[in-house]
Amino acid sequence: MSALADLLDATGAALEAEDDFDALNRLYCEKGWSDGLPLVPPSEQRVGDMLAYWDRPLAEPVAKIAPRWGEATPVRLAANAVMAGCRPEYFPLFVLAVEALCEESFNLYGIQTTTHQCAPLVMVNGPIGRELAINSGHNAFGPGHPANATIGRAIRLALVNIGGALPGIGDMSTFGSPGKYSYCVAENEAASPWEPLHVERGFPEEATTVTVIGAEGPHNVNDHESVTGKGILTMIAGTMAIPGANDATLGGGEPVIVLGPEHAATVATDGYSKQDVKRFLYEHGQVPLARFSEEYIERRLKKRFPERFAAAGVGAMIPLVKRAEDFMVIVIGGAGKHSAFIPTFGTTRAVTRMLRRRDGQPARSVSELRAQ
Amino acid sequence: MAELHKRGIVAVVACSTPFVNLGRIQSAQLGAPGLPLLVIPHPVGGIALDQVRERAEVFAAQVIEFVKGRMA
Repeated sequence: MSALADLLDATGAALEAEDDFDALNRLYCEKGWSDGLPLVPPSEQRVGDMLAYWDRPLAEPVAKIAPRWGEATPVRLAANAVMAGCRPEYFPLFVLAVEALCEESFNLYGIQTTTHQCAPLVMVNGPIGRELAINSGHNAFGPGHPANATIGRAIRLALVNIGGALPGIGDMSTFGSPGKYSYCVAENEAASPWEPLHVERGFPEEATTVTVIGAEGPHNVNDHESVTGKGILTMIAGTMAIPGANDATLGGGEPVIVLGPEHAATVATDGYSKQDVKRFLYEHGQVPLARFSEEYIERRLKKRFPERFAAAGVGAMIPLVKRAEDFMVIVIGGAGKHSAFIPTFGTTRAVTRMLRRRDGQPARSVSELRAQ
Repeated sequence: MAELHKRGIVAVVACSTPFVNLGRIQSAQLGAPGLPLLVIPHPVGGIALDQVRERAEVFAAQVIEFVKGRMA
């Protein structure tokens, strides 16, 4: 008997069911194991195929997922990856993202249970993202690419099925978000005039990383008119200055500025480094206190943050982050004069993790991650 | 609160109605399934101060009953 068969033999580890796609999908919905879309039945064969890309012990949990604190074992994760439609070669990146989500500084408990509409955004950098064809170009946040669609979906299923993020029970979001179906993209490194995100965050250029962000959906910045870096950044700063974003009053997140490649090229040609972009947006992307209601200022801002707001006049400006360096600047997308702003949950830190081979070195190809 | 409860220290949690299920699941997951959840009307945010006071009174009355029960 294989190691997987041994594990599935344990009480409650597997479910005997007739091989009937429709009946199985009704069962998944009844059990609350679904995101509402049809799921691929996680047969022993398919789970085994997924685990061909797992070279660590099968029974050893990689994390515990809040709020249920369910153990994310490789077998459970593989079952969810199968259900989401992942190809086996996506599995190492998916597991890496789950590990990153469960680091304390990410605050997954808060992100899962909050009434806010945030969802984990998975940002991929490096060669294996390209090998797996994770879309970083046209429609990167939208549908059409299996890796984006199914890795993001597998994360949601793991958060529901292992973490217990059932709507109205473990996931109390007032609205939810389309990003809770799937929210996975890669940076368009080839189109970026700057160093990629993972290099900026201290990883080697040849490494593949995931960066997880507790994020709202992208807010578009349409600017077909500005022909200077200053002009484009002024439009982005104006779009960012919104009083309803958690970042405006909590200020503990790392909001993301997504520059479309054409905007990025104009900004870089005018001499702005990434750090310059961050400083500009810190200075110009602040929210005037006058845009908050009087009640909001009196009841929340002055009482909860007296050091910042007790003496603030109506002309005061509220930065979205504590330091300009807290902004994340990345390049994503295809042709077009658009950028985007992604606010965060506000009390979350982005976590970046590197895909490693068994010897600890950066994996260069997903084929290096196959079980021996 | 779960930690206090597990150590035998009297502890209660105020919970507005939609969050009762989450509270029950969490207390069980944290090893304190008997942690009392005292339910107050929803919402707690975005209400006038007299409504805040009403909820505080609902909560305080439950706390008093709970403590009396523990002392009986």
